[in-house]
Amino acid sequence: MPPRGKAASSAQAAAGQASSGRRPALPREFIAAHKQRRITDALAELSAEQGYEATKISDIVRRAGVARKTLYDNFEGKEEVFLAAFDAAFDEAMERIETACTEAEGGWQEKIEVGLEAFLGYVADEPILAHMCMIEALSATPATTERYEDAVEKFVRMTGDTLPEDARLPDTLDETLVGGVAWIVYQAIRREDAERAVDLLPQLTEFMIGPFLDTGLAVPPAQAADENS
Amino acid sequence: MRPLPRGRHGLSREFVAQDQRERLLAAIASSLDEHSYDGTTVSLIGGRARVSKSDFYRHFASKDDCFLTAYDDAAERLRREVRAACAEHEQWPDRVCAGLAAGLAWLAAEPARANLLLVEGLRAGPQVYDRFLAMTDRFVPLLRDGAPAGPGSSGRLPQGADEAIVGGIASLLGRRVLAGETEDLVRMFPEVAEFALTPYLGAAEARRIISSG
Repeated sequence: MPPRGKAASSAQAAAGQASSGRRPALPREFIAAHKQRRITDALAELSAEQGYEATKISDIVRRAGVARKTLYDNFEGKEEVFLAAFDAAFDEAMERIETACTEAEGGWQEKIEVGLEAFLGYVADEPILAHMCMIEALSATPATTERYEDAVEKFVRMTGDTLPEDARLPDTLDETLVGGVAWIVYQAIRREDAERAVDLLPQLTEFMIGPFLDTGLAVPPAQAADENS
Repeated sequence: MRPLPRGRHGLSREFVAQDQRERLLAAIASSLDEHSYDGTTVSLIGGRARVSKSDFYRHFASKDDCFLTAYDDAAERLRREVRAACAEHEQWPDRVCAGLAAGLAWLAAEPARANLLLVEGLRAGPQVYDRFLAMTDRFVPLLRDGAPAGPGSSGRLPQGADEAIVGGIASLLGRRVLAGETEDLVRMFPEVAEFALTPYLGAAEARRIISSG
């Protein structure tokens, strides 16, 4: 076995030295934002590892490398740290999806595909935050559950705005499609497969496009790929 | 559920125990429909079931144990209901429609258990959510077995589509239960059935079957 532990700990020591060395003159807001981010990241990591409930304030400040007072200067307590982390992660995922959809030049079908790709890309890039938002948030506290429901609602609305209207299809299609996608992604995160979430893109795109295939509103994915090439 | 008469009644010990257990399982579901998990104490459950605290602990090691047992019990009741309805039909679309209709009717008639299965199960922590997923996974074969391969030229369904369909339906119903619309679930039959059939038969055929049934 290569001395992985040793390598990792010396890397940590190096990082520690760098941060404890002479401080560059950074603006105060930058330092505050950076510390907040360290605190929210620490909570996200700890809840992925041991669950929200088992995570104590002392664990968070130790992991973040900040003073207890710094945490309480910035947040009221553990729940507020969680909600801040959730909001930051959700906003970033949403922004990626909206940017991808805005840049897509094709019709609704392409928007669905690039939006899904952006979402799955976020899950793959940020597996710990994805775990926090899609697993821990459901059960952490009533306020976090509410945040989760609000986030689902926003995804449902965004999906509904993107899908074409068609009287032949059920009104609740946006809800069931978002629920189905969340389901599959949840299972991937739970299997610790979040890093490979992007591999789910073809099957989830087909799942979302499927109901429209024989309405004349959608092109089968294989055919769409031919047309693009 | 009404408690059994007190005192001498000539009922067997097993019968009494079984009856108490069923009352406790119903009581925890109805308590959770009104209170939070933390607010649902052992005394509250016992009080509703008219079972003493010491009898409670004869049946369950803890509130968590009672919760998990009630969860599995409700899931099994729902699955039995759905499976029995499916079994009455030969053709795949009829089987799926009958199963969905029976499931919706059961959930609407059992609002506390619907809440337990579709809302509380998600909120009780990752371990219970895994149970929830395992429970819904057991419905997947009822949809998949004997299903046509998919409409039109593609002739196949994407991998995992059946899981996503069941998951999508569970998620939709959970949102309705949370919104306090459990009693109206039966009215959602056409939409839910269309969502289930469309990937296999195409939108036009799914709609035709549901509007003719």
